[in-house]
Amino acid sequence: MSNTIEVKVPDIGDFSDVPVIELLVSKGDSVEADEGLLTLESDKATMEVPSPVAGVVRELKVGLNDTVSEGDVVAVLEATAGDAEADDAAGEPTASGEDQPGKALPEETGKDEAPRPEPEAEARITATESAVPAPADEPPPRSDSRGLPHASPAVRKFARELGADLRQISGSGNKGRITRDDVAAHVKQLMGGKGPSGAAGRIGGLSLDFPEAPQPDFSRFGAIERSELSRIQKLSAGHLHRNWVGIPHVTQHDEADITDMEAFRQANIEEAKARGFKLTPLVFLIKAMVASLKAFPTFNASLDPDGESLILKHYFNIGIAVDTPDGLVVPVIRECDRKGIMELAEELSVVSARARDGKLTPSDIQGGCISISSLGGIGGTGFTPIINAPEVAILGVSRSTMKQVWNGESFQPRLMLPLSLSYDHRVIDGAAAARFTRFLASRLEDLRRLTL
Amino acid sequence: MNDTSSHEFDVIVIGAGPGGYTAAFRAADLGLKTALVERYPTLGGVCLNVGCIPSKALLHTAAVIDEAAAMAAHGVKFGDPEIDIDSLRAHKEGVVEKLTGGLAGMARQRGVEVIQGTAAFTGVNELEVSTGDGSRSFSFTNAIIAVGSRSIELPNMPWGDPRLMDSTAALEIRDVPGRLLVVGGGIIGLEMACIYDALGSEVTVVELTPGLMPGTDADLVKPLERRIKKRYQAIHLETRVTGIGADDDALVANFEGKHEGTERFDRVLVAVGRTPNGNRINAAAVGVDVDDRGFIRVDEQMRTSVPNIFAIGDVVGQPMLAHKATHEGKVAAEVCAGEKSAFDARVIPSVAYTDPEIAWVGMTEEQARAENVDYGIGKFPWAASGRALGNGRTEGFTKLLFDNASKRIIGAGIVGPQAGDLIAECALAIEMGAEAEDISLTVHPHPTLSETVAMAAEVFEGTVTDLYIPRKGK
Repeated sequence: MSNTIEVKVPDIGDFSDVPVIELLVSKGDSVEADEGLLTLESDKATMEVPSPVAGVVRELKVGLNDTVSEGDVVAVLEATAGDAEADDAAGEPTASGEDQPGKALPEETGKDEAPRPEPEAEARITATESAVPAPADEPPPRSDSRGLPHASPAVRKFARELGADLRQISGSGNKGRITRDDVAAHVKQLMGGKGPSGAAGRIGGLSLDFPEAPQPDFSRFGAIERSELSRIQKLSAGHLHRNWVGIPHVTQHDEADITDMEAFRQANIEEAKARGFKLTPLVFLIKAMVASLKAFPTFNASLDPDGESLILKHYFNIGIAVDTPDGLVVPVIRECDRKGIMELAEELSVVSARARDGKLTPSDIQGGCISISSLGGIGGTGFTPIINAPEVAILGVSRSTMKQVWNGESFQPRLMLPLSLSYDHRVIDGAAAARFTRFLASRLEDLRRLTL
Repeated sequence: MNDTSSHEFDVIVIGAGPGGYTAAFRAADLGLKTALVERYPTLGGVCLNVGCIPSKALLHTAAVIDEAAAMAAHGVKFGDPEIDIDSLRAHKEGVVEKLTGGLAGMARQRGVEVIQGTAAFTGVNELEVSTGDGSRSFSFTNAIIAVGSRSIELPNMPWGDPRLMDSTAALEIRDVPGRLLVVGGGIIGLEMACIYDALGSEVTVVELTPGLMPGTDADLVKPLERRIKKRYQAIHLETRVTGIGADDDALVANFEGKHEGTERFDRVLVAVGRTPNGNRINAAAVGVDVDDRGFIRVDEQMRTSVPNIFAIGDVVGQPMLAHKATHEGKVAAEVCAGEKSAFDARVIPSVAYTDPEIAWVGMTEEQARAENVDYGIGKFPWAASGRALGNGRTEGFTKLLFDNASKRIIGAGIVGPQAGDLIAECALAIEMGAEAEDISLTVHPHPTLSETVAMAAEVFEGTVTDLYIPRKGK
């Protein structure tokens, strides 16, 4: 399938009648694509007329010192049968091993890659277009070469020294170029807490950049199944994570001697039962908590987001953590300071039942001042509850047990209730927390003090 | 694993090539107590002693010989050159001595202790250096392996016969052979061919692949190919040398492939590539990850699988280039000194110092097509450069590759005299993320070859005035 091709003078600028100053081939010569056929000379430059294809020169239409203009036929070629570009190909792939002749050599060597096969012939530039950009429709388009950050070597080095990830920085320079100032501003922002939230996010002026936990394929190690988190679990996950990571927690542990309180509770338990609800120790904890908040106002407070001031509350709404089949919820008992023991006990029964039935409304869980989480019904000797921000403390209560307590003269069996108070150390210091917990315990130890 | 206080040296660098001495000097400049182990009595490694430097000294001589002859066409006739091979060799050796002597002086000034001998690791903080009269142990906090590479010796050849040469032997220029066979049409083979051709040898080049300088864009190689085809005895592509025999008055080469038969030569140069020296220092025994071929794996801080042992240069992989090694050496030294350095060069330029020179950096067209990059070309033929015309060398061209979306330069290839010097601007442009206009709007001095870089960018933009290009797709 040989075919004959006329080679014409390409556009050579604003010149016509330019002389042929050199003939690079003669009739019968084999030529390769892009090989020069003849040289033209204009006022300022010489220029080769290249062969558009590989083939054999059938005819030269011009001689030395002839003058030609754009479009004149200078030669007739017969293209080589088959792939006209065959000879132009750089080579078939070869192993990239070291013992290939012609492979890269020492100090000034080539590339590691083996030569690649020549792509489609039509992607080549033809003679008349030899100096023109390749038409854009040839290779499949791609947005950018390698998606590398647009930054100079010096800026890249600067970013590396500061540990900044250039891919997270948007450049302020021309067409998004990242400047040294952009890197500095980015780092400053991160330090100042106004950075972007990454995988880890940031809380209250703090940015965290820790690696994601590994995600192995667990099924490699045994049978697994996937169980979706409940709606409540999903909702509380973010709050719990934020609060745990973002608040400097300290937990103060204490014990309250509730022997007398328990006797009092037992004495009144039947009355409550008769009115249709249970009289639990939690009710006494609520009352003791109210008294403690009154004595220590900073525990009934929230930190202003500006970090400049504390918002003190003059009301006493207490959140009660309730374990439900769908997860943890914290309904709020309002105005606990204005309610009596029995009234609170009744309200607590009603709210707990609604929580377990999933019938709480948004207003039921808003407006708390501090929370109480009691695991006493289950067991345990202590734990570290997570503060329910924007509250600044939470009281954890574990199971009461009979203990031998030295009363100064002898050991006595006393019912002791473990208390674990987690507090926000930005607002409350350790001594205050110890005093608060002791104060609260002392109210439980002698309920008469609640009236003081 | 290693404490940092009780060792004799903060850093021991093994190998005093361009990567090794750079690493040692940088480490010393950063205040580290540094030793440099070198098996040969002179510093500088292959590059300074038997590579880049002596070959360029000889290539300059070759270029002058050729250019003097070319002056006949300009009306200036010099007559045939008389070549005093001993003086030529002495000049070349003088150049090498000046550079290597300079290195020794700089090592002294910096307080780098130079230890002559062959090193082998005996632990992650200890190595042994063997010399002619025994061996000595040295302890180190950090080590930098810069042991380079060596020429590959093909089988079935009479190694030991002085007429069979590697690049080192060829650079000794003991004499000018009548008939020289160069096995390997890569950069080194063609550079040596260029030298011996200019000195008067009849040169034959044999290459296994279908093209000279595999991996380089075919259009870049073409002007060189065209020139040497006329001058050399023969260029055999797709041809394998199956073996070389020796008789009293010739080396006999057997060819197989596109060119078949047996031919006689006075000398044969084998330049088919280099192999790394990574498995010659007992590094694997102390836990360094060395592959079967002898390459050592490193991270971007040049750290091997042993945290206090680093490796740089040819031994960590291609491209095996001195200018890659020096940059890596600085990174390794800085990391040893606690700096947050890393090797993050986007491109490493390559140059063949043949006549004409061929240089490229970044993406080649072959690569861009293979990776489906949406690229455009700006190609400026030197035939339209007044300077190239005045030099009598119009066969070259300057070709720039741009990303069509961002208009940023992603690669460049230049062929013609001084291409190796011209490519540096393109490397800077790529590292800086320059767009076509950044290059074309930078005023380049007239009349220079450097203008062709700006004009190639103009060709891409369609704003060039030194050529006429029909407006087709625009």
